[in-house]
Amino acid sequence: MSTQPVIATSGLSKDYGSGRGLFGLDLEVGRGEVFGFLGPNGAGKSTTMRLLLDLIKPSAGSAQLLGLDSVNDSLAIRRRVGFLPGDLALYPKLTGRAVLDYLAELRGGVDRRLRDSLVERFDADLDRPVRQLSTGNRQKLGLIQAFMHEPELLILDEPIAGLDPLVQQSFHALLGEVSAEGRTVFLSSHTLSEVERVTDRLAILRQGRLVVVDSLENLRKVAVQRLEIEFGEPVDANEFRALPGVTEAHAEGSTVIVGFEGPADAVVKAAAAHEVRAIRPYEDDLEDIFLRYYRTDDPA
Amino acid sequence: MSVPTLKMTLRLRLLFAASAGFGLIAVLLGVGALFPAVGHAIGKLSIPKGVDQLLGGADYGTITGWYRSEVGSIYGPLLIAAVAIISASASTAGEEEDRILGLVLAHPVERSRLIVAKAVAIAAIVVVLAIGCWVGLIAGVALAGGGITVGHLAAYCLQLALFGFATGSVALAIGAGTGRRSLANGASAAVAIIGWLINGFAPLVSAISWLKYLSLFYYYDGNDPLAHGVDIANVIVLGAAALLLTAVAAISIKHRDLHA
Ligand SMILES: Nc1ncnc2c1ncn2[C@@H]1O[C@H](COP(=O)(O)OP(=O)(O)OP(=O)(O)O)[C@@H](O)[C@H]1O
Ligand SMILES: [Mg+2]
Repeated sequence: MSTQPVIATSGLSKDYGSGRGLFGLDLEVGRGEVFGFLGPNGAGKSTTMRLLLDLIKPSAGSAQLLGLDSVNDSLAIRRRVGFLPGDLALYPKLTGRAVLDYLAELRGGVDRRLRDSLVERFDADLDRPVRQLSTGNRQKLGLIQAFMHEPELLILDEPIAGLDPLVQQSFHALLGEVSAEGRTVFLSSHTLSEVERVTDRLAILRQGRLVVVDSLENLRKVAVQRLEIEFGEPVDANEFRALPGVTEAHAEGSTVIVGFEGPADAVVKAAAAHEVRAIRPYEDDLEDIFLRYYRTDDPA
Repeated sequence: MSVPTLKMTLRLRLLFAASAGFGLIAVLLGVGALFPAVGHAIGKLSIPKGVDQLLGGADYGTITGWYRSEVGSIYGPLLIAAVAIISASASTAGEEEDRILGLVLAHPVERSRLIVAKAVAIAAIVVVLAIGCWVGLIAGVALAGGGITVGHLAAYCLQLALFGFATGSVALAIGAGTGRRSLANGASAAVAIIGWLINGFAPLVSAISWLKYLSLFYYYDGNDPLAHGVDIANVIVLGAAALLLTAVAAISIKHRDLHA
């Protein structure tokens, strides 16, 4: 049973007309994975998640969650899944506590200690009416309700939106614990940098269609790396252009920026012929392939 | 039925329903207090037949006619219908448009059970208003010098409650079936007002007088419960309409897409 995927969709589609929606999604997410679901605005991420929770009905195809059919066994699925909707809304006049109480009651009660520990962890304010809360503080309530019943599967639509870096850190730590316990996380995001540290595998969706599904590691292998090398005196960028794997090189004063695929060996050795003051990696290397996948004119 | 949802719906609607209830009681007392002074004088005025029909076709000179025209024909049903309609649309389509329903329904609760809980909440609100109405009427009639039995007042309030519940159920069915709050409010208000007009005018033209049977208002007011007590058939029709519409609401939300 442990080899059975936690999420398995087959030809899952939701056609909204004029090319919008989700088309023929085939995806498998395994137990204990933290799976990133990425794509630009309107790619169909939220649509997919709403289909999985039976909030909307597929126009074709099907999905299995925890081995159960997303439409026919939805009630049983929802018992075991935690969901954070994108663009979360809660009863504006009620306090965070009242909202969490209600949502817990809908599940027939939750472990008080777990809930309290989540509240503490995210430093959530439960005493003020929801409408007085900032976006991030509202999002914390959304995260608490998604995690408070220890679901086997978490479906989180843009969970990081609006969270400050400290809260993001607690959230990332929580994801780590959850996946270590063998629970599964399926989360969406617009950018790789948001999920890079926590996801094992990821899928990129564009215009309702799956573009790529791979591990972060594999994506990294094909990624263009970039190094910024600062020399003691100006160096000709052409020295680097001719090296194997180098895709670009240009000089800015005494600094040369080199982009290359594969091992860094040749670049580093060529640089060593000069006085090297500093070598800095460019952070946005992975983001680059990403944008390549996002761009609609690129066949990817 | 989802009990947490029932409690939550009541909690969210309580203030609104309570303020409507206090307003109703105040009006009922005021109407009773006015009767000794003006009731007899107005009773002698001649009023055009159409207007008279809309006001219940009653004799203002008597205490039953006075209350029927001052409260029973417009104010009472208007108030209870408004509270029921607004509550029903807000707790179905309103929550959906506010994107709260999507989160609630990601929890293990069946859509139909959720809707039944909302319907029970509307029924409870309407019953509380009707009890307030009964208390207000007893006091108001006493202020007016008596003349309607407590039993007839209860009969009136029962038919009022059922009228409110049935009208609210129209909004519940439209709200649950479409997820559009303004449509639910507008269409059910139209059903109530057209019903009121049909009940007033159809009897004036014998060829279409049967139309009154299509009006919820007829089953609330037709037998004049203040004067004649409860009409079981009318009670059954209103109750059945409410239950049927609630069933429509519970079924129609089941297989449709929730709005984002
Ligand atoms: N109810 C609907 N009716 C018509 N079109 C819809 C509906 N819901 C979504 N769409 C369309 O389906 C496409 C996918 O939308 P979706 O919300 O799933 O995108 P997303 O990937 O979540 O985008 P974002 O990153 O902006 O949240 C969009 O083009 C959207 O306009
Ligand atoms: Mg989205």
